[in-house]
Amino acid sequence: MAAMLKCVMSGSQVKVFGKAVQALSRISDELWLDPSKKGLALRCVNSSRSAYGCVLFSPVFFQHYQWSALVKMNENELDPTLNLKCKLGMKSILPIFRCLNSLERNIEKCQIFTRSDKCKVVIQFFYRHGIKRTHNICFQESQPLQVIFDKNVCTNTLMIQPRLLADAIVLFTSSQEEVTLAVTPLNFCLKSSNEESMDLSNAVYSEMFVGSDEFDFFQIGMDTEITFCFKELKGILTFSEATHAPISIYFDFPGKPLALSIDDMLVEANFILATLAEEPSRASSPQSLCLSQKRKRSDLIEKKAGKNVTGQALECISRKAAPRKLYPKKTLTNISALENCGSPAMKRADGDVSEVSESSVSNTEEVPGSLCLRKFSCIFFGAVSSDQQEHFNHPFDSLAKASDSEEDMNNVCCIKEFNGSGTKYFCII
Amino acid sequence: MPLLTQQIQDEEDDQYSLVASLDNVRNLSTILKAIHFREHATCFATKNGIKVTVENAKCVQANAFIQAGIFQEFKVQEESVTFRINLTVLLDCLSIFGSSPMPGTLTALRMCYQGYGYPLMLFLEEGGVVTVCKINTQEPEETLDFDFCSTNVINKIILQSEGLREAFSELDMTSEVLQITMSPDKPYFRLSTFGNAGSSHLDYPKDSDLMEAFHCNQTQVNRYKISLLKPSTKALVLSCKVSIRTDNRGFLSLQYMIRNEDGQICFVEYYCCPDEEVPESES
Repeated sequence: MAAMLKCVMSGSQVKVFGKAVQALSRISDELWLDPSKKGLALRCVNSSRSAYGCVLFSPVFFQHYQWSALVKMNENELDPTLNLKCKLGMKSILPIFRCLNSLERNIEKCQIFTRSDKCKVVIQFFYRHGIKRTHNICFQESQPLQVIFDKNVCTNTLMIQPRLLADAIVLFTSSQEEVTLAVTPLNFCLKSSNEESMDLSNAVYSEMFVGSDEFDFFQIGMDTEITFCFKELKGILTFSEATHAPISIYFDFPGKPLALSIDDMLVEANFILATLAEEPSRASSPQSLCLSQKRKRSDLIEKKAGKNVTGQALECISRKAAPRKLYPKKTLTNISALENCGSPAMKRADGDVSEVSESSVSNTEEVPGSLCLRKFSCIFFGAVSSDQQEHFNHPFDSLAKASDSEEDMNNVCCIKEFNGSGTKYFCII
Repeated sequence: MPLLTQQIQDEEDDQYSLVASLDNVRNLSTILKAIHFREHATCFATKNGIKVTVENAKCVQANAFIQAGIFQEFKVQEESVTFRINLTVLLDCLSIFGSSPMPGTLTALRMCYQGYGYPLMLFLEEGGVVTVCKINTQEPEETLDFDFCSTNVINKIILQSEGLREAFSELDMTSEVLQITMSPDKPYFRLSTFGNAGSSHLDYPKDSDLMEAFHCNQTQVNRYKISLLKPSTKALVLSCKVSIRTDNRGFLSLQYMIRNEDGQICFVEYYCCPDEEVPESES
């Protein structure tokens, strides 16, 4: 039986679902639908791998929720289950959820189901007067990624009503790309990024202070000033309007990812954003607290033309299966898939499996707008759900290969796997 | 009407081949906006009223009918009066006192046309202020004859416009065509697009409350260029009912019933010819 998903929502639930799609569209132009027994997760990773978003709708969020993983006929296989691997183009799904207020008002029921045989997701809206709108969207078969980051060990944790934050960020101009968050045990300050304010063309510099008593929870381990991209923050705030749940911010020090979370009974959202790393001269700062003691830092694989590798940033991505096009023109051999699996950071997240030379990577990433990511530290990713066991035995080769070019032997590889029963970490030094 | 012109008006009227006056200019401007998707329009006036025609790409034609009864005064000296005019300019002039006037204030219009080669004269009056506009007319062009004859109509549906309004405003414009399926059997009436967002179908059951009439004799699946049909949204949003008909050649007629501010009924009609490639039977 093929992996499948079927869920049914009411108009007001569609609004929340649609807001999630809209919020995630600020991160990436691709979206994974990842159903499991925990609910339906929508995931996305931006092309430079500096931001990750996941919204998990619990099964009780829906009027009806049903899913199943692929069950292989061959019982000798070690891994009997395979989740739905469904990656949608944001361009396909976003227009469907554009007019949420009118959807909420006019529809009686929304039904989403997959037709794996045709690689299609079907979204149906049932309106009044018996009118029915059906959208058929083709999906790409691609293993979802998941960020490996435990927000609960962060030294700084804040919780605030989204309205307060939303009121505050209207101060920033729409051209604002990065914001700096500065905290002390008594104070919270969100301001225009220092770097951006150097730019004379951007004459507006804003600072916004919020007293600690405004927060539902305020725990600052140490004075911290971190800089991150603004648009994802705006994204999750848009989403929080739909849930009315408080938003939590977890972070440590510059260079370590920041997590924005909404933890509601029915919906859980996590946006993980890379933060700007400090200058290499100050690289002695304790940046690896969040990782287990065994792990060491590997240098950033991402290399920019004419720039040194950003020190202390870390990037390690592992995928157990190469993303495949819907109808691949040629069947990939294991080797090519594995080669690919070690270096996904070096290509755009478009599922293209062809090998990309480093120079061409530098070129593709040298686009305006992504310059601010130059010093952003990257995030760990692991594939969600399990895949064939054999892949686990190999990713080191390819990773070593990727890092050899950096002349750094402190390679780290993390693979996060959960196959429904629990979470395992594979660490390689 | 200014007093000065009042006395000589009757004598002057004889020199005009067309004279029409209206207490509320919006009764005219609104309906012209419904067909304003091209710069130029051709106007035909007969004793029954004025027909304004706009065409595009030799594939789509929109006609607005403003019958004589809408006007407080309507005189045509000749059998028919025909001229071409810049519709954008005409609409700008008609709303020269503002397109959304203060409540209770009406702009009155007197429209005169002396004949071939003369400009169209507009006298607009609001609150004692008169504006005179002269718009040059142009050589009338021959308009298309779609030869859409009601005896050849295969399928006909009358819908309350609200049922289509959202459908048209949310049309997936990345699709090149709008496919219209009309059938005596399921899916009865279906609008489909095939764009970046995949395929999308909108189904109307024949027993829907919005369906005022459903006369479908045989299954027809036709595709129309979405860029040609999209402008009809302007008429749709103003209308209360729409009649959708297709003939034996697959030609489409959309008739919109528009109620003006005084409760009178006007009609706007769109004709569109189908895309030539007959689609595969896609579901």
